[in-house]
Parts: sequence; structure tokens; C-alpha cells
Amino acid sequence: MQWACHNPAMLTFVAALACAIALDAAPDVLVSRQLAARAHLTVGDTVTLAADANGARARTFRVAGVYEPTPDPMRFTAERIEGRLHLPDLIALTADPHDPASAESVNTINMTLAPGIDTRRFIADLASQAPGVTGWPTARSRDDDPFVVLDRFHLAISVVTVVGSTAFLLALMVIRAEERRDTIAILRMVGISRRSLLTSVAVEGLVTAIAGAIFGVALAFTTEGLVNRIFQTRYDTALVFVRVTPALAWRAVAVAAPLGIAAGLAASWTLLRRNILSLFRR
Amino acid sequence: MTSLGLAWRTARRYRARTLLAVAGVAIIGALLFDMLLLSRGLLASFADLLDSEGFDVRVIASEGLPAMRVPIPGSADLADRIRGMPSVRDVALIRMERARVRRGADRPRVVTLVGRTQSGVGPWTVVRGASLSYGPVGSARASGERDSASLPSERGDCPVVIGRNLATAFALEPGSSLDVTATPAGIASALPSVACRVVGLVDFGFAGVDEYAVATTMDAFEAIVAEPSHGEADLILVASRAESGGGAAAARAIAGLRPDLRVYSNEDVVAQFNRNGFAYFRQISFVLSSLTMSFAFLLVATLLTVSINQRLGEIAALRALGIGRRRIAAMLLWESALLVGAGALLALPLGGVLALLLDHILRQMPGLPERLHFFVFEPRALVIHVVLFVITAAAAAAYPVWLTSRLPIAATLRREVVG
Amino acid sequence: MPASLVVEARGVSRVFPMSAGPVTALRDVTLHVAAGEYVAIAGPSGCGKSTLLHLVGCVDTPSSGSILFEHRDVAALSEAARSRIRLTRIGFVFQRFFLLPMLTAAENIELPQAEAGVAPAARRARTRALLEYVELVDRADHLPSQLSGGEMQRIAIARALANNPVLLVADEPTGELDETTGEHIADLFDRVHADGTAILVVTHNPTLAIRASRRLAMKSGSLVA
Repeated sequence: MQWACHNPAMLTFVAALACAIALDAAPDVLVSRQLAARAHLTVGDTVTLAADANGARARTFRVAGVYEPTPDPMRFTAERIEGRLHLPDLIALTADPHDPASAESVNTINMTLAPGIDTRRFIADLASQAPGVTGWPTARSRDDDPFVVLDRFHLAISVVTVVGSTAFLLALMVIRAEERRDTIAILRMVGISRRSLLTSVAVEGLVTAIAGAIFGVALAFTTEGLVNRIFQTRYDTALVFVRVTPALAWRAVAVAAPLGIAAGLAASWTLLRRNILSLFRR
Repeated sequence: MTSLGLAWRTARRYRARTLLAVAGVAIIGALLFDMLLLSRGLLASFADLLDSEGFDVRVIASEGLPAMRVPIPGSADLADRIRGMPSVRDVALIRMERARVRRGADRPRVVTLVGRTQSGVGPWTVVRGASLSYGPVGSARASGERDSASLPSERGDCPVVIGRNLATAFALEPGSSLDVTATPAGIASALPSVACRVVGLVDFGFAGVDEYAVATTMDAFEAIVAEPSHGEADLILVASRAESGGGAAAARAIAGLRPDLRVYSNEDVVAQFNRNGFAYFRQISFVLSSLTMSFAFLLVATLLTVSINQRLGEIAALRALGIGRRRIAAMLLWESALLVGAGALLALPLGGVLALLLDHILRQMPGLPERLHFFVFEPRALVIHVVLFVITAAAAAAYPVWLTSRLPIAATLRREVVG
Repeated sequence: MPASLVVEARGVSRVFPMSAGPVTALRDVTLHVAAGEYVAIAGPSGCGKSTLLHLVGCVDTPSSGSILFEHRDVAALSEAARSRIRLTRIGFVFQRFFLLPMLTAAENIELPQAEAGVAPAARRARTRALLEYVELVDRADHLPSQLSGGEMQRIAIARALANNPVLLVADEPTGELDETTGEHIADLFDRVHADGTAILVVTHNPTLAIRASRRLAMKSGSLVA
């Protein structure tokens, strides 16, 4: 759950007050690594927590541990100033004494359904039996998952980059073909067929593209750690931002290979379709 | 023949490679232009959205954005005190609740119900019909001090403005009627429906693409939720007077009245958004801008270098004929400028189209306000685009220029003849 | 040095540093070309003819010895000054023509004039005159790729003469041409010489060399006759 108090300055103050009080029976609290660093807390410290900004109905807790918050891609920019309590302790801390129902209320109930249970039907049944309760699946559908949208966005950018790279590759291959114009003319003069020349060009394009893709993947592998470290330091999170998976590496090679062959063939074809004599430079 | 003329002739002579290079630069340039639009687009759009509401200060009970619905104790009293400040032009109290709307036999729709006290503006923009009117009631009523027992008894007592998507779903027009039932989250309720009359179709600035929203007067709101506010609101919106220092000054003054509350000017909200929600897009924009610039540089520098290597004999001969280094450097710079310039120019319309596509993709994110865009054109983006490409063109030509300026004429001529 | 000398090489040597060790291309060569003189240098491939031509043509500087062009020590001049001499006082003709492929014949001839700052009208008139001189007026608007080898070399000669040089240096100008075309080029050189321009040509072609008023031979980096 989220830390009840969002004001670290106040928390530090309250924690300092609490240091003077030693309570063996104080319930446990786990604090996030970020909160521990911010409030200078270590395991065994006692802290006083209150749900109210004025410190009303404060209770004392003992820091039983420091944990690394589960990385949340949706909140990676947020500072994880948070802690975890046992539910009864939390209710005791936050319940409204004038509202008996509040001691029996929780914000959310997490459930794991038995295999084979239809989530939507379960939610519908729940809504009919408990009016006012809203249920939703924690597994996001493909339509409303922000990361699916981001994935589409990245894919679109990748496509644009690949198209731009292809133009670049083609331009280079055209120059390379032009460079070898005399060689191609001589080879055709001595009877080497267009098919053989095209095959050799295709192989060259393939080798070049695969070598480029492998270099790119190697570069990505090499810089992966650096990029992650920069972002993890920047946002103080354990979230992994970049991960070059074997599937991604294969995809890069699989896209590069046909493009390399096509670029090589397209660039060479402009020379190969011409009359042999017109290839000789004056 | 000027250096530009020579460069132009060279570009025309090697047409295929020129076209491919321009195409490559244009595509990469389009991506760069889009990243420049993205670098501030969401922020600009968000700020625009905030400003379009007509209010520039928000007061809420707890830290975070107004979506966190913790009631503000003593809202009505606070609103009166705020209204009395010389720097304030308008104040509105806002309450929000979940509700269900039904019209005839149509399937009911879940809506966000907004209650608002009397105010000169939104927070919405009227598209058709009228905004909410409050009748001849004094300022006390406007501030929320009203008889909580007086519930609307006739359809006309519950005027509502509705979002366009709800109007479309129910085929509603100004003058149409609909029934609204509050369904507060977290509690079991069986509240009666309240008959309401549509007075206007509006655009709710922060309503999501697939979110239905209905706004009404605070009286009608309380009637629908069957619960008097006791002077509490979820949100207080304040419009400041520009001549008195604007939103920031008003926010400071209001924070002085109630230190226990969170008071944000629009600038504060935008700054917070910039620090948190916008960080990812700022990062990706920066990373991709850098990558695309490097890519464009590499593309043009490589093409020019390879092209120059093919023409070394020609260039050495020109130098032998007395054509100066400066002229050859100028020719190369122009060649680079032509490739990059044509590409950068083409990148603008291409980037515009691509921005529409990418914006469409990103706007599929759940819960985004309908009027929020990721890619927003600002003249600043165009200026940066041009400056970056001028730098790229110059940088890309630098190595070939250096190569030709150091070209050993005699050795190159000898090599060309032997070759 | 007599006032009529255009260029003089005094004991020049040229050593090229190579990865396998330095290579001496020229050894202690002394040569002078007077105004209006026609000098041909013959010799086997790799004997240093072109190297000497590059030194005399102010394209390169010697490792030792000195080159005086119109009484000025070339080694003491800046690259810009040498470039200016090449532009206005020397005309270069290459074995491979080196016409700019994207410019027409007329534009190729105009280019050195434009660089020298000749006014457009004067440039056009001079270009027209040179095209008439090399008998290629009808090819003025053709690109080099649309010309024969002989035509390209004639255009290259016209380009070399564009700024009225005092010295025309030619490196194997008939090396890429057949015998008959080579004869035509040799005739053109005779006319250039007759018009008062000094010529220094290195060639394998005996029919071209024989037309020179002074013939020299080179062997292993030295002048032998």
C-alpha cells in the first residue's frame, strides 16, 4: 500500500521524536529503500506514523526491514517514498473512530481466481451481489494497456527508421555499384552472366547487411547496461528500461538481411541491364 | 559557374544517389521534426488545456492532481474569502461523482457527474446550446451556501451540459431530457434517478476520449447524490486577474489563507506534469532527436566522403588548374547543403503527416483527455529543426572538405593515371 | 637567370617516403624553359617525367634544389600563391583529360576564367574564341560523356589556355588517343607554340616529341640528354 503520509520532512521529524521512545511491543513496518535513505532510517529504528497531517492518532512502529519497491513502469518517475504495514495495523492507524464501518473497510481486495473461471463473468456476478463494489481484471486487455500503445509507437518509429536506413543503404550501394562499373563491364565482356553477377551482388548485400545488424546488436548489448544504469540512477528505480533479447536480435537480423539483398540487387540492376559497351567509361 | 552551380550540377549528374540521399534525410528529418514537436508538445497541449478552462489556480485537499477526490473542508467559506481577494476574478466549487445516465430504452451509460457552483466560465467549452444558468440567485448561492433541503422537483431544476460523445450516443440535443442516477464508488447505494434537461453540448477539457461526462449546478448535483455538501467541494477553481500578478500570485495568496491545502497555479501543474508524467516522452524525444541527428550526419557525411573519393582525380586536376581550396570547399558545403536542405524541407510535410499518425497511436492510451495531443506545432520546433540541419550540413561536409584541402595534388594525379 | 626564362629547375630532387623505404623519383635535375620554347621530355614509364612536370607546374615542391617560376622560388610561396600561378600563368593538360563531367565543354573552359575573376561577358567571348581555336564550336553545349577522346583532349587544351598562360604543361596528352587523333593534338600543340606559349610536354609518343624545339630524355630520375 501507499505510505499514508506523503510529506517526508514531517516524517523525519516524527521519526526523530520517536527515537526517544523505546517500545518493545511496537508493530513492524517495512520501509522502501528510498524512504529509508530520505528519512535516515535503519532496521530496528522506531518511527511514529499518523494518517493525519497534524499527527493526530499517531502510533509507533518499529522498522523491521527495508525493501526495494517492485518496479512499476507506470510510475517510474515517481519517488517511491512508501512503506508496508500489516493490515490490522494500518486500519488501526487510519480508521475513523466516529465511523465503526471504517474499521472494517479496505480499499481493494486482490483475488486470484481458480483456473477456468471467466474473469468478466465473475466481476459481473460480484457487482450484482455487492452493489457499489467495482471489480476489474489486473491483466490489462490489449486495447487499454498503455504499454501496448507505447509498443505500437516504438514500432512505428522503428519502421520509419528502417525506411530511412534503406534509403541510406541504397544510396551507398548505388555508389558502390557505380565504383565497380568498369569491373562489371569487363566481367560481362568475358562472358560472366548477369545471373552470376546478381548472385554475387546479392551475397555481398546479404553479408554487409548481416554484418551491420550483428554490429548493431552487439552495440545494443554493450550499451544496454550503460543506458539502464543512467536511467536507473536518474529515476532511482530498479526498473529495467532496455533489454536486448535474443528475439529482438533475431528480428534485427531478419529485417536487415532481405533489405541488404534487395538494396544490392536494386543498385546493381541499373548497371546490369545496360549495354556492355555503355558501361565503359570514357 | 558559382560553387552553388557546381554543387547543383553534381547533384543532378548523380541523380540516383542524390534522390536517395534526399529521401533518407527527409525520412530521418521527419522523425527529428516529430521528436521536436513531441519534446514540448504534450506539455504545450496540457498547458493549453488548462488555460482553456478559464481558471488558473486549483485548490485541492491533498497532494497530487485534482483526480484525487478528497473533500476540502470549509470550501464554501474559503471560496467566499478567495472571492474577496483583489487578485481574483472568479471562483467555482467543483464536486465529482460517478453516475449512470439513462434515456428511454437505451442502454444506460456510466458517466462522470460534475457539480459546479455559479461561475463565469467552464471548466468546459460550449459547442451548442447554452452553459449552465443559475437564475436570480445571489452570491451566497454561488458560493455554495444554499438550503441543502431544497431538491429539484421539476425537470427544469436539473439543467445539464453534456459531452458530445454522450450526445451522439443518446442522440441528445439542447432541450432533450435524460435521467441521472448517482452510483457513488465504494458504497452500496440505490439512489433515485433525477430527471434532467440538456441545456448545452460542451467539450470537457479533461474528459477522456471514451469517457462520458455530465455537468450540472451544485444544487442539482446534491439532489442527484442525495447528499448535501456541507460546504465541501472536491476542487476549487480560481480565475485570477492578470493585472494583479496572474495565477502564481493568486496561488501564493490563497495558500496563505489555508496552509493545510494544496494550491497550484497552472504553471505549477504544468511543471509537476513536466517532472513526472511527461518525463518519458521528454527522454524518448531527446534520445531519438540525438539518434536521428547522428544518423542524418552519418548518412550525408558518408555519402559525401564516398562521392569525393570517387572524384579525387577530378578534384586534384581542378587544384592543378589553379582552382582554389576555398572554391572546392564551398562546392562541397553547397553539395551538403543541397542534400540536407532539400531533405530537411521535405521532412516538414512528411513530419506533419507522420506526427498525425504517431499522435493517433499515442492517443489510444487509456484515460487521456480528448483534446490532449502529443505532437503540437510550435515555431520554436521549426527554428530548432532548421538550426540542427544547418549544423548537420556543415558537420557532414567538414570531413570531405578536410580531405580535399589536404589532397596531395601530384600524388593523386599520379595515382589516377596509374589506376 | 635570363629574363626570358619562364621556369627553371636547379638541381632538384624528389624523394617519396614509402612504407617499404624512401623512393627517389628525381635526382639532381636541372632544366629551364624559356618563353615561347617547346620542350619535350621522353623516357620510359616510372623514370620521373611526371614528377618533374608536377614540380615545374608548381603542383609539387622538390625535396632538394629549387624551382624558379618567373624568377620566384616556388618553395617559398604559399599554397594560395602557387595556386594563383597555376590558375593564371600555367595551363595543364592531362592524359585523362579530367574534364568536369557535369559541365558542358564551354562551361569547362569558363571555369578557370571564373576562378580568375574574368567578367562574364569577357569569359563568354574568350570561351567562344577558344572553341573556335580548337574547332569545336558546335560541341560547346555537349557534356564530356558526349565527346570523343580527341574532342575531350581539345577541350582540355582550350581549358588550359583559358587564362592566357605563359607555359602549357602536358602530361602524356596523347596517351589515351589513337595515332591519328594524337596527330591532331600534336598539330594543336604546334599552333599553341606558334602563338607564343611555351610548352613542356612529357610523352612516350615520338610523333609528338619530334615536334618540340628541344627534346630531352629521362632515365631513372635524371635527364640524360
